[in-house]
Amino acid sequence: MRSITSTLLSLLLLLPFAACGEKESTSGRLKVVATTGMIEDAVREVAGDRVELAALMGPGVDPHLYKASQSDLALLTGADIVFYNGLHLEGKMVDALEKMARNRRVVPVAAAIDSASLRRPAEFQGHPDPHVWFDVKMWESAVRAVERTLAEADTAGAKTYHDRAAHYLRRLDSLDSWVRQQIATIPRDRRVLVTAHDAFGYFGRAYDIEVRGLQGISTVTETGLGDISALVEMIVSRKIKAVFVESSVPHRSIEAVRQGAEQRGHRVALGGTLFSDAMGARGTPEGTYIGMVSANVHTIVEALR
Amino acid sequence: MNEPSQTGMQRAALEVHDLSVSYHLRPVLWNVDFTVPTGQLVGIVGPNGAGKSTLIKAVMGLLPATSGHVRLFDQPLDEVRQRVAYVPQRTSVDWDFPTTVREVVLMGRYGRLGLFRRPRRADREIAEESLRTVGMAEFADRQISQLSGGQQQRVFLARALAQGADLLLMDEPFAGVDAATESAIIELLRTMRREGRTVIVVHHDLSTVPDYFDMVLLLNMRLVAFGAVEEVFTNALLQRTYGGRLNLLSEVADLMHRQGRHGREAR
Amino acid sequence: MMWNELIVIIGSSLLGIGSAAIGCFALLRRRALAGDAVAHAALPGVAVAFLLAGKNPAALLGGAAATGWLSMASVDAIVRRSSIREDGAIGIVLSVFFGLGILLITHIQAGGSAAQSGLNTFLFGQAAALLPEDLWVFGGVSLVLVLGILLLYKEFALLSFDRDYAATSGLPVRRLELAMTTMIVLAVVSGLQAVGVVLMAAMLIAPAAAARYWTDRLPVMIGLAIFFGIVSGVAGALISASGRAMPTGPWIITAATACVLLSMLFAPRRGVLARALRRKRYQRRAEEENVLKAMHHLGERDGRPMESRSIDEIRAVRPFSSDQLGSALRRLLGDRFVERLADGRWRFTAEGARQGERVTRLHRLWEVYLTEHLQLALDHVHDDAESIEHILTPELEQELQQLLDHPAVDPHSRSIPYTGSAPNTTEIRSGEEPE
Repeated sequence: MRSITSTLLSLLLLLPFAACGEKESTSGRLKVVATTGMIEDAVREVAGDRVELAALMGPGVDPHLYKASQSDLALLTGADIVFYNGLHLEGKMVDALEKMARNRRVVPVAAAIDSASLRRPAEFQGHPDPHVWFDVKMWESAVRAVERTLAEADTAGAKTYHDRAAHYLRRLDSLDSWVRQQIATIPRDRRVLVTAHDAFGYFGRAYDIEVRGLQGISTVTETGLGDISALVEMIVSRKIKAVFVESSVPHRSIEAVRQGAEQRGHRVALGGTLFSDAMGARGTPEGTYIGMVSANVHTIVEALR
Repeated sequence: MNEPSQTGMQRAALEVHDLSVSYHLRPVLWNVDFTVPTGQLVGIVGPNGAGKSTLIKAVMGLLPATSGHVRLFDQPLDEVRQRVAYVPQRTSVDWDFPTTVREVVLMGRYGRLGLFRRPRRADREIAEESLRTVGMAEFADRQISQLSGGQQQRVFLARALAQGADLLLMDEPFAGVDAATESAIIELLRTMRREGRTVIVVHHDLSTVPDYFDMVLLLNMRLVAFGAVEEVFTNALLQRTYGGRLNLLSEVADLMHRQGRHGREAR
Repeated sequence: MMWNELIVIIGSSLLGIGSAAIGCFALLRRRALAGDAVAHAALPGVAVAFLLAGKNPAALLGGAAATGWLSMASVDAIVRRSSIREDGAIGIVLSVFFGLGILLITHIQAGGSAAQSGLNTFLFGQAAALLPEDLWVFGGVSLVLVLGILLLYKEFALLSFDRDYAATSGLPVRRLELAMTTMIVLAVVSGLQAVGVVLMAAMLIAPAAAARYWTDRLPVMIGLAIFFGIVSGVAGALISASGRAMPTGPWIITAATACVLLSMLFAPRRGVLARALRRKRYQRRAEEENVLKAMHHLGERDGRPMESRSIDEIRAVRPFSSDQLGSALRRLLGDRFVERLADGRWRFTAEGARQGERVTRLHRLWEVYLTEHLQLALDHVHDDAESIEHILTPELEQELQQLLDHPAVDPHSRSIPYTGSAPNTTEIRSGEEPE
């Protein structure tokens, strides 16, 4: 009786280990997992169909708050390469990612960016702002990191990766110029972007537009009444035309700001929904990185000009 | 004090027919069957775990019966609730609750008032009267945590009096109570009996049974015996009720022998 | 004041009113954590509602209410059908429902719908972002709750105090409990959007707990709880408005907690400070009376009660520390029981002599009582009398004298002084209760 119980127990204990065994390659392709949609899009552009690709966070998911589920862990364990943003964007997945790094390539794409050019906002106590994808030129470094990693892991496909990456990077260059030019059409005194949280810091710096977020860098914190009042004050005194909500963050706080400004006699419009931490639905133009950035810029320019 | 109902001569205050009660599937009371006439002081005695409290609670509808039924004044409980007062054990309540003596006694009137209504002046006067009867009038505004055990028991009794009930079911009213309160209470119960009311008491002190009660119910999960104290409160039946506790019983038996059967109206 | 601040102040006050009122009954029925359970149980309700109806706020709140209500029913069922007590049942239900909620939310997250953002704020709330429509909800809910409590006040009070008696009185106990549960659910769910799951429990308990310290009357307790609920809302809002990065919900809860702590410390009878003061006062009085007794003993010994005494002489009779003795003498001086002479010696006044006699008499009477009525041994009675002598009231003293039939000597054969025991007792300090 006792030996049966202990045998059963040992079998039970071994079960999890059986799960993280070797992954069977159905097609011989590399299995790649990306955390955010932006990264997934970059990998898709560089690798095409050469890899089996999956993303953990879909449209509308807030990466600051995202916790990995059991099926996510299964996906990650079965992967050959894992791409994530890094700089603590996926704040609640740090442990999971560290564990994964022991047996496979786990690459923080933002690490490829020169550390000196990262924003370090004062309220964040010197930690860098992780929303690097909003500076298109910076994002190009991430794309190059993806290409390098893929080429190392799959030397046979190195040439394909290189060509595709080069093509994509050219498109990104044009995107970058276009954005700069578009933003410049907004008169300088109206060039203020007000959003729910501080995701657009790099965007503001790169394209010369002032950025104000209600919450700080991460959506984990809760807004304070003082922050709302301060923002209302700024909007009213500088006669900002529009404020923006984000797809992955609740709209309530921006709505409160908007109504607060209205009560002081200043009508501020809801300029539209911006994609900040997540992209649009799959299959739509906003579901790609370039589409998302363009959509954002259109929305911003329309509302503020 | 409110007068007892004069709806003709009911012969039985309480009829318990073949009552069985289980707690978590364990039988606690087994086919208990007895009838209590009006105007009696009845004591229920038995060892710990005999089901004495359970019997009272089942009669009051607080515990479900697995079989059998109960009639009070020839009617089901729901018809006569106003006429039956339950006086729970003192320990069943948190005396730290923020309420006063007066308010607790007033609770005796809630059954008559029904939902949403406030107590009227008549209700308050009845409560005052009940407080005077038990000798707690000067404590009316005191918070109940500041009372002694005996005072708390008097408050419970006042509540039952305010209800104006014809039948009182009391669970261990003399437990942890000082001698003065005990004699005051038993005097009160005797007065109630003179008025034609019926009082049934779960009692723990065998030595006072012959003095206090007219009838006694010997209970140990099943009814051992029920009847007039002279006939039922005997050594033999007590031994059957209590099983092996002989020392106490022989002492009690001696007491009874010495006292005879008189002295019940003294004190 | 800014409009946003006004909205938040009014909103959190309205929220505080309803939660505090019903929270009193939850506290008294020992279901203080019910609010916590309902709040956590709301999560699966929100998730299911989202899956069925999308991000419709009415649907989400309805789902929260449904599972919140279900959780309370589960607690009741567990308490009734098993030997698990209320606190265990609440813990179990809270965890199970919340776990289920996390499961569903994770499933939703993986589903890829773009609209599912913000389900998380149902957990944490955005009290700073209250809007006018919230005020209507809070106001309406608080109105319903307060009206409900007013209408059913006596029923709720009896139910919370003595459930069995309530049942035997013919009150519909189950339906009343249902009503109470529904009110708790209503209070919690309406506040979820403002302060979130984690903090809503505190809004129910803290004002009631604080109020309990100040009064022993239930209506007053409810009123005070409402007051504290409003104060927490207003204070929390004002503090959070005074600077940057000061989240409003947590500050409201901090204010509520401060109310509890301050009440614990400063409430007049039950507060920590009040008790300490009472103890201190008693100790000081005992010290003073011991000094009077010592001086009286000196007088007995040399037959000269009004003789002046030095500090050392007094200390020879009874081992005071010089600090103790010094401050006690000063206080006695203020009471005009002693006089201080030019050479630093101390002497009874007439009244002081009477007091010294009185304490001595009480001590010896009590010893007689202990030996005669309680049959305590001779060597056991002194210490007892040392404490009891300070709390016997003049009435008790009269009773003792009568009961013992005015004994002339104590068990140690010392005479009991009666000269000062005439009933001009206006200056005698009667015994206050030590704590």
